[in-house]
Amino acid sequence: MQRWRTFSILVALGLVVAACTTTSTSQEPSGSAEPSTPESMAPFVATSYPADGPADCAYGGEFSQITAVDEFTVRFDLCYPDPAFLAKIAFTANAINDTAWLEANMVNHLILARPNGTGPYKFKEYVRGDHITLEKFDGYWGDAAIAQEVIFQWNSEAAARLLALQAGTVDGIDNPGTDDFPVIEGDANLALEPREALNVFYVGITNTYAPWDNELVRQAVGLGIDRQRIVDNFYPAGSTVADYFSPAALAYASEGAAWPDFDPTAAKAKLAEAGFPDGFDTTIFYRDVVRSYLPTPGLVAADIQNQLLVNLNIRADIVVQDSGTFIDNSSQGLLNGLHLLGWGADYPDTSNFLDYHFNNPANLQFGTIDSSVSDAIAAGGQTLDPAARAAAYGDANTALVETVPMIPIAHGGSGAAFRADVAGAHSSPLGNEYFAVMDPGGRSTMVWMQNSYPISLYCADETDGETLRVCEQVMEALYSYSIGGTDAVPQLAEECVGNDDLTSFTCTLRQGVSFHDGSHFDANDVVASYAVQWDAAHPLHIGRTGSFEYFAAFFAQFLNAPE
Amino acid sequence: MSHEIMTAPGDTISARPANMWRDAGRDILAQRSAQVGLVILSALFAIALAAPIIAVHEPNDPVGIAEGLTAQQRGPCIRLLGCPEERPEHIFGVDRNGRDVFSRVVHGARVSLWIGFATVGFAIFVGTLLGSVAGFAGGWIDNLIMRLMDVLLAFPALVLAIAIVTVLEPGLVNAGLAIGVVAIPIYARVMRASVLSIKERDFVTASRALGESPSGILLRRIVPNALTPLIVQGTLGIASAILDIAALSFLGLGAQPPLAEWGSMIGLDRNQLFTDPHLILIPGVALSLSVLGFNLLGDGLRDALDPRLNR
Amino acid sequence: MAAPFRVSASRSSGYTPAMLRFITRRVLLTIPVLIGIVFVVFAVARILPGDPCKAALGERATEARCALFRERFGLDEPIPVQFGIYLSDLSRGDLGTSISQGVPVSDMLVQRLPLTLELTFFALALAASLGILLGVAAAARRNSAVDVATMVGANLGISTPVFVLGLLLIFIFAVVLRDTPFVLPPGGRLTAGVTIIPLTESWGLTELEGPLRIVVDFFSNMYLLNSLITGQWEVLGDALRHLILPAVALATIPLSIIARITRSSLLDVLGQDYIRTARAKGLSEQRVVLRHGLRNAILPVVTVIGLSLGSLLAGAVLTESIFGLTGLGRTITDAVLARDYAVVQGLTLVTAVIYVLVNLIVDISYGYLDPRIRLQ
Repeated sequence: MQRWRTFSILVALGLVVAACTTTSTSQEPSGSAEPSTPESMAPFVATSYPADGPADCAYGGEFSQITAVDEFTVRFDLCYPDPAFLAKIAFTANAINDTAWLEANMVNHLILARPNGTGPYKFKEYVRGDHITLEKFDGYWGDAAIAQEVIFQWNSEAAARLLALQAGTVDGIDNPGTDDFPVIEGDANLALEPREALNVFYVGITNTYAPWDNELVRQAVGLGIDRQRIVDNFYPAGSTVADYFSPAALAYASEGAAWPDFDPTAAKAKLAEAGFPDGFDTTIFYRDVVRSYLPTPGLVAADIQNQLLVNLNIRADIVVQDSGTFIDNSSQGLLNGLHLLGWGADYPDTSNFLDYHFNNPANLQFGTIDSSVSDAIAAGGQTLDPAARAAAYGDANTALVETVPMIPIAHGGSGAAFRADVAGAHSSPLGNEYFAVMDPGGRSTMVWMQNSYPISLYCADETDGETLRVCEQVMEALYSYSIGGTDAVPQLAEECVGNDDLTSFTCTLRQGVSFHDGSHFDANDVVASYAVQWDAAHPLHIGRTGSFEYFAAFFAQFLNAPE
Repeated sequence: MSHEIMTAPGDTISARPANMWRDAGRDILAQRSAQVGLVILSALFAIALAAPIIAVHEPNDPVGIAEGLTAQQRGPCIRLLGCPEERPEHIFGVDRNGRDVFSRVVHGARVSLWIGFATVGFAIFVGTLLGSVAGFAGGWIDNLIMRLMDVLLAFPALVLAIAIVTVLEPGLVNAGLAIGVVAIPIYARVMRASVLSIKERDFVTASRALGESPSGILLRRIVPNALTPLIVQGTLGIASAILDIAALSFLGLGAQPPLAEWGSMIGLDRNQLFTDPHLILIPGVALSLSVLGFNLLGDGLRDALDPRLNR
Repeated sequence: MAAPFRVSASRSSGYTPAMLRFITRRVLLTIPVLIGIVFVVFAVARILPGDPCKAALGERATEARCALFRERFGLDEPIPVQFGIYLSDLSRGDLGTSISQGVPVSDMLVQRLPLTLELTFFALALAASLGILLGVAAAARRNSAVDVATMVGANLGISTPVFVLGLLLIFIFAVVLRDTPFVLPPGGRLTAGVTIIPLTESWGLTELEGPLRIVVDFFSNMYLLNSLITGQWEVLGDALRHLILPAVALATIPLSIIARITRSSLLDVLGQDYIRTARAKGLSEQRVVLRHGLRNAILPVVTVIGLSLGSLLAGAVLTESIFGLTGLGRTITDAVLARDYAVVQGLTLVTAVIYVLVNLIVDISYGYLDPRIRLQ
């Protein structure tokens, strides 16, 4: 009896203790991931990945090994030279996470809601559906943020965003409508920050369907669309006609032959030569989604339809597809006709534009890519000599004009708008506005309204710019892009130096950097952050959907990729 | 659950049909709301019929771009109200593709009218079929059909319509189909209520005893009885069909570009309220007036034809 | 529509056997409807064309990654198996996980439904008060200019697209009236920086888990209710100010119907014999209309108010969009467009169930109040 009572009391106590130690929902990093030994005390044990030696490069990816040489030095060994390496590691998806944090929060998916970074702001709360609050991190290694808090809000309607700015309830907005630019410029209380066009809008042609398999037909349409008219009527100030596929700001973008000018007479002649003096019937496909490369898809589709009819007697139907279906169909080459699509820069290098579209066996958008194009692009991506790169990309662009897999139309400008009293306001060509340097007119809170909400806060497994912008404030990578610019500049690394043939990069890390939860930043964290993405068989290769899109796009392939 | 139907099945029917129609017509015209509604609708029909004649331009012709109009010059320009000679006249302005808004609005009247009638026609056809079967058969067939109607009614109309349209692929006809499907239960219930109220009447039992066939009873007794609430409900139904299809087109799921439909026009330009208000307000007013016309007429019809109102 | 009953007559007391039988029959009839809803929801979600993987991963999705994606979310199983899994999850209260957001659908429900409910009820209250007022005014002076004017006005409300009305309201109250005391915010639920203390914190329940936690969080997300019962008066005021414009825009949808029904129902009643008697007795017109007429005429109005819920939820889609409110209507539409099966199924199901339950309650109360209905 006595024992039974004691036992039951102990059981009851145990239950009470168990109930009281359950944690609550989305709050700031609460140190539940505290390792048992304080990091500063434990001796540094260097790690490398893979631990037992470099991976066999036959797997097809860029990395062969990532090694923590010592506590503050990391070396990346590559399977092939990568001249764009520094630009790639600056991307937010490659932000560095604390090893213990990854281990404690990945499997249970908590990392999606609780970011723990090294940035000037730390995560405070995400009131789903309404707003995200970040607050200033006092332990930041660099220049402290100015505003005490940053609040992210969102609204998909451009008119509503502008209204909020005019009403003064927000300090900055993203993507005002095309016609709102003059309104903002004319308002003394507002300031417009135009965004350089690091994107391209093109009309894609899948050349496996007749009559698009006839190169003359494609060339005729290439001459028969007045691209200037489209830019003048449907794009905001700061947009330019696309003379090349890659936007002019990128190095090597403007090599080789430029796109020929609009010439309806020559176009008609060419079409007749191809055997279609009276034109033909076709379809224009697009998705009704706003992007900086194509802010008004419906209007542009209608205009292209009209131009094809008037200039070339080509009668086109318009078919609107939903976004997922459209992407699916286009990348599998299933669209019989013309499709309207574009591309925004992930990292500021020409390879980001040309390689994905014209030297990518998984992308069947354009049907068969002529080897003159893909060979030239391959050459340009793996040489280091600037002159050789320029020549290779020049050849590629010239081949594009010849073979017309697509017709580049515009580089779409966009912009951000702020209240006039926000000091340090800027827009970023990559969409990476950096709020730590903005002073919202002396107010303690900076309120920013963008198009849409972040899906999760673990950006290694995200692709959407709205999500990445939040991560930008909180997380840091080895390098970053200059504020408002595109140059890769050191961030968590003091410097990364490549060897002679750019197959290995050694990064010296900053010392004395803390994560928001108090952990210390060291080389093992770099190894872990990359390893989790790189190895498909890694126990922590989970993320949100497990796709790690950007890793695959930048570094070609995962280790142990499933067949 | 018949309380959401606006009228109850009528009572006895006048023994002299010819006078019934004349009387009804006079009663209808005596209602103020019906008068206003008829005026609006006559204008609407006239415009729709005459659309190809009165539209100055083709609805899909980007004349504005050819004329070199800038973004600031899109607004209405009416000679009579002082539009300068150098500027081409567009009494309702042009849209962002340079298309003449007046021509598009006028053609849009055709689109809205035909799809409104088609949608309600479809719903009435299927609904009355289901309702008569349910009413006549009774028992488990009645139960099954009415449960199906309940399931349909359980969803917010627009949400279900969105789902249906997405399944069928966006398009004007599919949007009409979706809205029609969602509206079927209303007419099914009207018909069923009519059938039920007549079925048990003495004179029906007598007729059947005398050997009159069910279809004969249906045609000569039940249908005229159900006609009144069907007409009233149908008129109001056209109003909401036009509005719902405009809502679907607004969301991009109904009329597809470049078709000139009022809802689609507003949807495409919804962020232009402060830069080009005419692009939203003019189709918006057209939509409001048309729906208003049908609503007023429906109200007037109900007031006139409901025999229980003491006058 | 059943005619109203005499004033003096049988307002029976509650739970007679007939009444119980009526309630039971009504409840039992609801069950097949609910089953039908579950099935329809699942079927429609599966018939939707388009690949959720491409919708979720966008331009950069490749087939290999989509294979992983589909496996993760059980989308590669045959349809009947998926339905079976869905049903078993449902019986445990698990509504699945959102494909595009990676959060449980029940979480989304707790976050978004309260807002829609608050907005809907606020709009309904506005529409009911104004609608009844207009309907009475119109019926009292039937076929006069006042009648037509109020009906035209109410009809204009329903005829004007909610979106345009919303933008106009924002423009007037948030921009034009910006520096006046009449200013209203252009969107959102609370001003940036104003935070509401969740009920779990106010009541010291932060360690609560399980279904009870879900219920508490649900009510916590109704900002008006929460701030009212915990005395956060500033938050209450702020939340109210944010809800006014969307509620007004939304209210125009049922306004016309309520006005119209009030009018026609009142006209029905005013045509009855006992009204003539009341007038003959010398009662004032106002008393006749309001006390004798409206009391009996109110029943169909109550029914219609309940039924308006459907159109309100639909109108909420457009209203939520323009006012930047993330509520149920918007979420379902986005989910349909993104092929997020779990969200479409879960939220549509919940919406339909709510709708059915509301109708059930209205039905039963209607039967309670009108004895002839329950004898059918």
